[in-house]
Amino acid sequence: MKRIRFSALAWLALSPLLAVSVFPFVVMLTTALKPLAEVFVYPTHWLPQHPSLEGFTEMWKATRFALALRNSLEIAFESTLATLAVAVPAAYAVARMQFRLRPPYRQFLLVTQMLSPILLVLGLYRLMGMIPFGDGKLLDTRLAIIIPYAGFQMAFSVWMLSSYFAAIPAAIEEAAWIDGCTRLRAIVSIFLPLALPAIAVTGLVAFVAAWNEFALALTLLRDPDRQTVTIQVVNLVAGRYSVEWNQVMAATLVATVPVGIMFTWLQRYLVRGLTFGAIQ
Amino acid sequence: MAARRPTVIGVLPFPVLVMIAPSLLLAAFVILYPLWEILRLSVHEISRFGLVRGFVGWDNFTAVLADPSFRASLWRTLVWTGAVVGGTLVVSVPTAVILNMDFAGRGLARAVVMLPWSVSLSMASIVWLWSFNADYGLINTLLQSLGLIARGVPWMARPETAFPIEIAIGVIVSIPFTTTILLGGLSSIPGDIYEAARIDGAGPWLQFRALTLPLLRSFINIAVVLNIIHVFNSFPIIWIMTQGGPDDGTHILITYLYDLAFRLGKPGPAAAISLIMLAILFVFTFLYLRLQPKDAN
Amino acid sequence: MTRFKRITHLAAAAALSLASMAAAARADTVRITVSFYSAATGPYFEKMAAAFTAANPGHEVKIEVVNWPSLLQKLQTDIAGNANPDISIIGTRWLLDFVRDDLVEPLDGHMSADFRNRFIGTFLKPAEIKGKVYGLPIAASARALYYNKAMLTAAGMPDGPKTWDDVAAAAEKIKAAGGNGFGLMAKGTEVDVYWYYALWTHGGQVISPDGKAAFNTPAGVKSLAMYKSFLDRGLTQPGPTDYTREDLQNQFKQGRLGMVITAPFLINQINKEVPTLQYGIAPVPTGTNAATYAVTDSVVMFKNSKVKDTAWKFLDFLFSAGPRIEFTKSEGFLPTTKAEAADPYFTGNERLQTFVNLLPNAQFAPTITGWEDTAKAVTNALQSVYLGTATPEAALKKAEDIANQALGK
Repeated sequence: MKRIRFSALAWLALSPLLAVSVFPFVVMLTTALKPLAEVFVYPTHWLPQHPSLEGFTEMWKATRFALALRNSLEIAFESTLATLAVAVPAAYAVARMQFRLRPPYRQFLLVTQMLSPILLVLGLYRLMGMIPFGDGKLLDTRLAIIIPYAGFQMAFSVWMLSSYFAAIPAAIEEAAWIDGCTRLRAIVSIFLPLALPAIAVTGLVAFVAAWNEFALALTLLRDPDRQTVTIQVVNLVAGRYSVEWNQVMAATLVATVPVGIMFTWLQRYLVRGLTFGAIQ
Repeated sequence: MAARRPTVIGVLPFPVLVMIAPSLLLAAFVILYPLWEILRLSVHEISRFGLVRGFVGWDNFTAVLADPSFRASLWRTLVWTGAVVGGTLVVSVPTAVILNMDFAGRGLARAVVMLPWSVSLSMASIVWLWSFNADYGLINTLLQSLGLIARGVPWMARPETAFPIEIAIGVIVSIPFTTTILLGGLSSIPGDIYEAARIDGAGPWLQFRALTLPLLRSFINIAVVLNIIHVFNSFPIIWIMTQGGPDDGTHILITYLYDLAFRLGKPGPAAAISLIMLAILFVFTFLYLRLQPKDAN
Repeated sequence: MTRFKRITHLAAAAALSLASMAAAARADTVRITVSFYSAATGPYFEKMAAAFTAANPGHEVKIEVVNWPSLLQKLQTDIAGNANPDISIIGTRWLLDFVRDDLVEPLDGHMSADFRNRFIGTFLKPAEIKGKVYGLPIAASARALYYNKAMLTAAGMPDGPKTWDDVAAAAEKIKAAGGNGFGLMAKGTEVDVYWYYALWTHGGQVISPDGKAAFNTPAGVKSLAMYKSFLDRGLTQPGPTDYTREDLQNQFKQGRLGMVITAPFLINQINKEVPTLQYGIAPVPTGTNAATYAVTDSVVMFKNSKVKDTAWKFLDFLFSAGPRIEFTKSEGFLPTTKAEAADPYFTGNERLQTFVNLLPNAQFAPTITGWEDTAKAVTNALQSVYLGTATPEAALKKAEDIANQALGK
């Protein structure tokens, strides 16, 4: 009984925030389901009078959504892998080893966050255009965007991973060394399984950042066949002579679904990753 | 701190070098050359298309500093950053505390609070812009059906309404990330210290102030620092909703700089602003960290 | 692998890449950046590219479609990064910056007398700098006043307003009937232009012939005070600083707005979305004289292109009768070539003819440095007047000073 009352209170306290969080999704869904003629009806109705999937089907064609979706998934997935491959060892070093250059190293990472990609994009573009790669330049490949994504995600990933790694008791590994394990083996078979939730959470953050990024993608992805979902959705709005809002909302909604699913799926890991410190 | 740990291995021992070098190289790769470009642009007269017309020394900086729009944008940037970061913290701390408690449906509540994170900032701004549309926006529809307004309000028409709305949206989109970090901090606080505090007769408020806040401080710090950096440089909300207008009344430095570089075609002064922004952020961040008690890092 | 073997491998690889380069020289790929005008733009250019490749086997055209607000930024980055396309659509008013940096090719050398003769003379002019033509007019439009037939008939002007006084009188009646009279936009692109209609028709000008800001005159103050009084008297929709051109067009399509000044492409949108709407098109209202705004977008060829001949061939194809007519029809622009103008679609289209007939009185945006600064200064001035934070006199004076500084006067 007490728990029920307490739960009700908790939900009540959270309700304004929850309402504001859900509101954009309500707008997306209701607008997406309206046929175009109904979008511009005044006074506006909350709910579509004649729900229609027109917004979804039209948007799917207009934005070449299937292609954009694949591009986004590939770019986000690969840059997440790149981020983790580089950040996990670095975070392990920061968490487990003591070296005098650690503070400047962390400060440098923080400084890399201080310049907005919007400021750096010109220089990055020139840089990627200068480096030869394969038959052409780095700029012609997907690496031109994956490298910056991983680079800009480094500071947060190293910080997040190292603070979780620090919470995993070193004694477990040390015990393994005494049992004759090599340091590397102890990392792989003892440390990594324990660190997996934290890695998953950090990966999720990197994935979402890459999935949602706009400024770099707009400039660094030259090939129309490589455009990401975010670019295509913003393109539906920016500078059009007429904006078809039902399509825009349909596209936004569909673009959000993969990330939303990942959040719900990783929500357990998120909690576990976050509660990890409590184990010690 | 270093002295307390038994395993000091040196300045930069080889295994450490191997482990951190890739991250260092990657971060340096994406930052150093572009930074050099900005430095170069800032001291030259540059055409719209990047052609160097001549070395001008500090001229770009003095021109920018003398520009009243720059000064107005600088002031607005400080208001923007302070309000969004402060507002985010004020909402996120209690939210995280509640989400850390054990109540029915907590998983669902956590998922919903995180949900806005899954929408990109550009898309979220577009959705909010549409929601605040004077004619068809659901905000006006909602307020009208509640009888609060007689006819649609053009919310983005005046800086006095547009800018606070933009700040509120800035807060809303910053909450999920901040709450997540704080939740991580909260869950690392062992429950038994609260037990002990309760036995000593401490009420919930005292527990929060004397236990939770101090233990959470390092997490609050990292959230504040990262938020300052991101919010200070945040472009999409203001650009998509008002483009810094009307009458330059909602420009912050980053949107002002974009306008200068790409609409007016002046990369030189824009680069000068970038460097001024970097300097401000640098000072802010390290001042903030310096003002914290020693063990906070 | 022995050293020798490695060298032979390298040599073989080099020979191979040389061979592929030679092959590339025979089969050119032309890269063109086009702006997004409507959902039909991309497919149109893809179709033209395919037709071109079919007629010229081996040559290919790669299309990149960019939204208008990102276009200049994209080209800026492309050029600074030395990765620009071979040809691109640009706003003709940007042309001077391209020419000053020696980025674009004068086209006179490529144009035969016959080719030059395809165009309607007015439209080649804006892209001419110091006697040389740098751009071909791919899209042209002018502005006229769209009016809602039912609303204006009820106001006693079934043929639309002739003068600004008519506009005010009609708007009073529309307001009394609960509608919005005259649409006033002050957000997004062309905020300044929306006031130039009033400025020009009161005998004013934006820039004087000697290149100074010329809008801060009695005509300027009078026309701006007129718009402000429209706003204050409730003859416009409320909150113009929250309304873009698109927002006004939407209101017009739903029959909630009596009058709006905009471009010919609204005709196509109405045909598609609200074919039952009863509306008319009238010239921009007059004050002391008639005027309108005309604008072209140009195709330019970049100097650093390595495939200029093939690129020109493609342009020659794009500006032949068939492709031109198809483009102008589907986008709802005005004809820029004589062949289009003679096509029955245009000669028989009364609505489009209203626009064409306005062209003798049309003003183009001048190709001068500092035009964008001037546009921005004027935009800010207008917004401050509409917001009530400055008087027309003070706002125009401030804008004049900023503009003159940018214009170097």
